[in-house]
Amino acid sequence: MAPDELTRLSIAEAGEQLRRRALSPVELTRAYLDRIQRSDGDLLAYITVLPGEALAAATAAEREIARGNYRGPLHGIPIALKDLVLTRGIRTTCGSRILADWVPDTDATVTTRLAEAGAILLGKLNMHEFAYGPTGVNPHYGTSRNPWDRQRVPGGSSSGSAVAVAAGLAAGALGTDTGGSVRIPAALCGLVGLKPTYGRVSRAGVIPLAWSLDHVGPMTRTVTDAALLLQVLAGRDPADPSTTDVPVPDYRRAMQGEIRGLRLGLPKDHFFERLDPEVRAAVLAAARSLEGLGASVEHIPLPNIPHAGPASFAIIASEAMAYHEPYLKTRAAEYGADVRARLMTGQFVLASHYLKAQRARQIIRAEVDAALRRVDALLLPTTPIPAPRLDAQEVTVDGVTEDARWWLIRCTRPINVTGHPALSVPCGLTAGGLPVGLQIVGRHFDEATVLRIGHAFEAVGPMRDRRPPLDS
Amino acid sequence: MAPISTHVLQAISQELSRIPVDPGDLATAASQLGAQLDGLARLDDLDLLAVEPATVLLPPSEDPHGA
Repeated sequence: MAPDELTRLSIAEAGEQLRRRALSPVELTRAYLDRIQRSDGDLLAYITVLPGEALAAATAAEREIARGNYRGPLHGIPIALKDLVLTRGIRTTCGSRILADWVPDTDATVTTRLAEAGAILLGKLNMHEFAYGPTGVNPHYGTSRNPWDRQRVPGGSSSGSAVAVAAGLAAGALGTDTGGSVRIPAALCGLVGLKPTYGRVSRAGVIPLAWSLDHVGPMTRTVTDAALLLQVLAGRDPADPSTTDVPVPDYRRAMQGEIRGLRLGLPKDHFFERLDPEVRAAVLAAARSLEGLGASVEHIPLPNIPHAGPASFAIIASEAMAYHEPYLKTRAAEYGADVRARLMTGQFVLASHYLKAQRARQIIRAEVDAALRRVDALLLPTTPIPAPRLDAQEVTVDGVTEDARWWLIRCTRPINVTGHPALSVPCGLTAGGLPVGLQIVGRHFDEATVLRIGHAFEAVGPMRDRRPPLDS
Repeated sequence: MAPISTHVLQAISQELSRIPVDPGDLATAASQLGAQLDGLARLDDLDLLAVEPATVLLPPSEDPHGA
């Protein structure tokens, strides 16, 4: 198999070949490193590439597998991490100039879990500075380019994670999601992105944006791959008090069943009110496909969802300000202008706003919980618009002109407020060739059902085997 | 959108937060905050006192890094 073909294998496909020793971890890792060297000068997915470390780890994995010590589906799989996940001895910039030279002396829990599973770390990925923005625009390391159209943003904040996986520069990646930062770039780059339930995956050793809304999740080319990564990441971690003892199922097995008889809800409020027509058409077509597989679809009222936006704003602004205040007092000039201004806004949010937001959160969450007692999952657009142009400040939809950033987070941030698991699955391309994402939201800690629906849709959806038009 | 005076914001920055702030950032902050104030006020439409605030868990422990 040619090296570029190796980089198109899913994690599950490559893992099966590695297990059978039909493929060498060194050969696979080298294929990814070669492709990074050829393509990343234009795509800017990586901040730090680790060729020596990756090849050493791949060599060790090869020996281990040859000795019969196969650890599981991630053993020998080349992955990469958003550059806010701590890696011992490897700089962790958070996409910032402030931490440009910071080398942690510990690993994040998720770094450790991936290493223990035998995954090979290719490098650290570009991102919106300090994860505070949904476009991925980065003034310090350059803006990662959307592989479907390089004049478009990839989405953020996990921009490099999406670009690397979509362009075949990593088999899978981790992102973080505080207002949509896994799901938005996944949708805009034609990938699968999973924001697990709040408390399902440890954030210990992950630089926070807003700790009561932050989630860590996988970004992959297939739903099965997302399940394989979640399997390793999920579970209680004493270092993160938000994690729980809720049992972790076998996700790959749990997602195999058919979806006949499942009840799916299309919210009447907010999510479908203002949408790009092509996004609306793709998401509704996806709902019809799921009906064709035997699920039933009904409309669900969620009248309090519009309160999630202001609540999310107050919480993120306050918590981010609390974290960044020392830097803002001493090193403000080192921030990019957009992120600094956004952080500065946090000092003007009142404590009463913050506490009202945390109360509102309970009400909104209870409303979504009630909806999810009536149906098994909700179907939403991931973003109301496809990827905006790199220079777009504002976007007009249905005659309403708003900041491009507000459009991008409109359908994702409510689910950070409620903490439910949410999966973005590619569900179509616009006439201009830009991906559209379907968002599937499930009950707390029921990632298995969300993955099962996504997996069933993926098999019949229009994005099977579609890749960005960048291969030469 | 509710208009917000950048002079007020500057005073808060200097006197309360004690964060040196660029005037250009204040204009952006005024715009961003102004866009949210009506929504924040509408949170009062909810029966907020009927619920406790969401538990704000402590952030996970982290490494200090070079501030």
